[in-house]
Amino acid sequence: MINGNLKSNYAADERVLNNRYKQVFVYGMALLLAVFGALANDYLILIASKMGLLLIAVVGINILTGYTGLVSLGHAAFVAIGAYAVTIFQNVTAGIIPDGIMIFFAVPFAVFLAAAIGVIVGLPSLRVKGLYLAVATLAANFIVIFLIEQDVFARWTGGMVGLTTNAPSLFGWVLDTKREMFGLIAVVGFVTLLAAQNLIRTRIGRAFIAIRDRDYSAEILGISLLRYKLTSFSISAAYCGLSGALFAYFYARILPEQFELDLSLELVAALIVGGMGRTMGPVFGVIIIVMVPEVIKITFGAITGDAAGMAQLRAPLQEIAFGVLLVVFLLKEPLGINQIVDRMLRAANRWPFARG
Amino acid sequence: MGQFAQFAINGLMSGAIYALIAVGIVSVYKATKVVNFAHGYLIMFGAYFYYTFAVIVPGQPWAPEWLASWQPDWMVEMKGDLGMFSPLGAVLDWLANLPRILLGLLGAVLANAVVGRIIERTLMRPLMGQSVFAMIMVTVGLISIMSGGAQLIWTADADFVPHIAPNTPIRFELFGTMIFLFGADLVNMVIALLLFGGIVAFVRFTKGGIAIRATAEDQSTAYSMGISVPQVFRRAWVLASVTGAIAGAILATRNGISPSLGLFGFSVLAIVLMGGLDSYVGVFIAAMTVGVLEAMTQWQLGGNWAEIVPYVAVLVVLIWRPHGLMGQKEVERI
Amino acid sequence: MLKIENLHLSFGGIKALQGVNFEARKGEITGVIGPNGAGKTSLFNAISGFYTPDQGRVYFEGRDITDLSPDKRAALGLARTFQNIALFRGMTVLDNIKLGGHSRLKTNVWQALRYFGAAQKEELELRREIEERVIDFLEIDHIRKYPITMLPYGLQKRVELGRALAMRPKVLLLDEPVAGMNREETADMARFILDVQEQFGTTILLVEHDMHMVMDICSHIVVLNFGQQIASGTPVEVSKNPDVIEAYLGATA
Repeated sequence: MINGNLKSNYAADERVLNNRYKQVFVYGMALLLAVFGALANDYLILIASKMGLLLIAVVGINILTGYTGLVSLGHAAFVAIGAYAVTIFQNVTAGIIPDGIMIFFAVPFAVFLAAAIGVIVGLPSLRVKGLYLAVATLAANFIVIFLIEQDVFARWTGGMVGLTTNAPSLFGWVLDTKREMFGLIAVVGFVTLLAAQNLIRTRIGRAFIAIRDRDYSAEILGISLLRYKLTSFSISAAYCGLSGALFAYFYARILPEQFELDLSLELVAALIVGGMGRTMGPVFGVIIIVMVPEVIKITFGAITGDAAGMAQLRAPLQEIAFGVLLVVFLLKEPLGINQIVDRMLRAANRWPFARG
Repeated sequence: MGQFAQFAINGLMSGAIYALIAVGIVSVYKATKVVNFAHGYLIMFGAYFYYTFAVIVPGQPWAPEWLASWQPDWMVEMKGDLGMFSPLGAVLDWLANLPRILLGLLGAVLANAVVGRIIERTLMRPLMGQSVFAMIMVTVGLISIMSGGAQLIWTADADFVPHIAPNTPIRFELFGTMIFLFGADLVNMVIALLLFGGIVAFVRFTKGGIAIRATAEDQSTAYSMGISVPQVFRRAWVLASVTGAIAGAILATRNGISPSLGLFGFSVLAIVLMGGLDSYVGVFIAAMTVGVLEAMTQWQLGGNWAEIVPYVAVLVVLIWRPHGLMGQKEVERI
Repeated sequence: MLKIENLHLSFGGIKALQGVNFEARKGEITGVIGPNGAGKTSLFNAISGFYTPDQGRVYFEGRDITDLSPDKRAALGLARTFQNIALFRGMTVLDNIKLGGHSRLKTNVWQALRYFGAAQKEELELRREIEERVIDFLEIDHIRKYPITMLPYGLQKRVELGRALAMRPKVLLLDEPVAGMNREETADMARFILDVQEQFGTTILLVEHDMHMVMDICSHIVVLNFGQQIASGTPVEVSKNPDVIEAYLGATA
């Protein structure tokens, strides 16, 4: 808590950006992103876009796991649904809906589809212990990817080979460079993060947290457990679907193997490492999860100098690093980077009155 | 009818292996309340260790000749007279491989036990008493570490390993049609069933087993009763690693060595949940059922579709019985 | 207001409640007492909806609620506190109390995501109401931004009462509201409970062990022992009842 941060009316007290520092931070970040988008080189734009895409999905996972306390190990399925839905929708309606406004139909379709399937997957598994939900979502992930890969459906899904995707068009302005797409991703990311924050401030978000902390206590306050768990599940599925839709627009091609268990685990790991149940958690987590493999790639390349036979060691190394990162955080700082940052900010706030 | 019987028997044999894999997951859960999501990779390590000791080591230039292939004079003589596909020939082939099979199994069991010990000591012990969520997520992290680790140590190439038992073809009649089996598969099934039964008996009837069950119910009470909880944890993980090693070896002989062996862990996880997580009986039934269902699916729809049988099955069972076939509903004191 | 009719509840072989029958009259404070293990918390759990009785019915304002789930009972106006404090430890006092208003609010997911507009209005109204009706009333304004984990036991119990009050309940179940409190804290809590009854006209049903407090503020008392109802009446009647004395002190030789 910051000292001297007093307000004179309830409205001011209820604001999210209730002190100078937070305001400067948020507006500053927005400005920084804009400048970055304009000036950074292509490689950095690529990295940042990856982070942005992942961020939207991890914010969804944060709502489900961080705030409601439900564990899902299969949300990559919803990312896949979003990506494929958008692409298939465009392929199917190409002649009917004009290109300029296609995105305004395709994306909502994908998001709603993801949310709807989220309800179906969530329904049986929300009646029992969290463990069952974890395995049920794992199963759902396998099933969805399997179905996408099958030759039977290859006509629509492209099977193992995947589908090529188009660049989106906003009223005629075609976003065919990565830089332009980054702009879209950044804006959508910002808005979805804000929306999630809003959700937490209202009765819905509070209900989620209540369910996480003590579900029987939530029940006697009038919160229907099944209904709210299902709501949380489908909102998180919708977020992942949105991420998938943008993913499809960003990359030239989508393949079923991009949405397997690995992605699901990446999402959860990003959340844990960044900090569960806090607004900035997903942001920190996404930065780390994307940067660590890149750093390994660069240092590995520098050390081995692209020697043949060494190259195949890089992927396993990245995998191990990922696992180690997750485990270390769980053992040492389960509340994630957010907690570390909090501690530093608190110390800075008190300085020079107290150490530590 | 005959085809049905053939596939059913195949399914039962697969089911026995699944049961063996599952017993490791259930035992660790019973003792520590942690579901080891990385169990499939423990199996995979077992398989790779078997490969190491049964193929790589005998193949080294410094390894004795008889390790790679034991060919005493009397055997060479006997083989000379035999035709192909003769049962005796298969038995003799097996005998020739026996040294490295035994080395492989021994090495796999010991090496895996060490791995299990290390995992329990470094990862699980520090988290004792903390949230179950944290412990489960650690096993999830373990997935990546073990998967990457295996690729680093052994590379991602696929290869073959010697069968544990003589691979004689067995033919017999059942319900009017010929059933065709391989002796090795039959022996594998017997091994799996015996081990499964042994573990269940251990947990049911021995002091160690009771200690495991007590710790699962209430750690602090178990402590005050004089039960060494860390020892129980250690035992459970070693048990899981050892059964995992044997299961891995069996799987390797059946499917060959490759990183995809780890994926079996997930389908067996689904089976464990179907059975009810802490009920050996329920898990056994689930394993057998899934094995048979997979075989039936393979028969009717082709091999591909058999892949998702356990996952569809678990979702169906959860809709019907949210706690698994024989799971216990936990009552919380409010 | 709240009528318990012939309630039987058992867990396997244990008979927690055997034929409990009483009514908590409107606007009055009714007490439920009995030695440990008498079934008082089981009774509360049955009224809340966590247990379904084997036999008997529960009536709320004349309406049979025996088959309703806990969250639906809350919507009707039934609030409750727990013996071992059931506050949400991840939240502040203010957020916990705001949750009391949950079932009365109407914001849906879409409005919540947008916040500005309907949701914001509702939130501010809720804040205003809670500040005036609950926080001022219970004198906890100095701790309203504190996380629950920072509060001492007595204050936590008061916050839980506040959360129940935010529901604007018609019937309030208090499970050992002064357990573990010293004289002063007990007197404070008793005063607050009386204030709730007088100012808001709430019907109150409370379980307690502290005899002084129970005799002081209750107008009607029900006594349980081993799941059976052994007495019911005014405090004076009950304290003179030989069965009650025997249950607490044992039969005289």
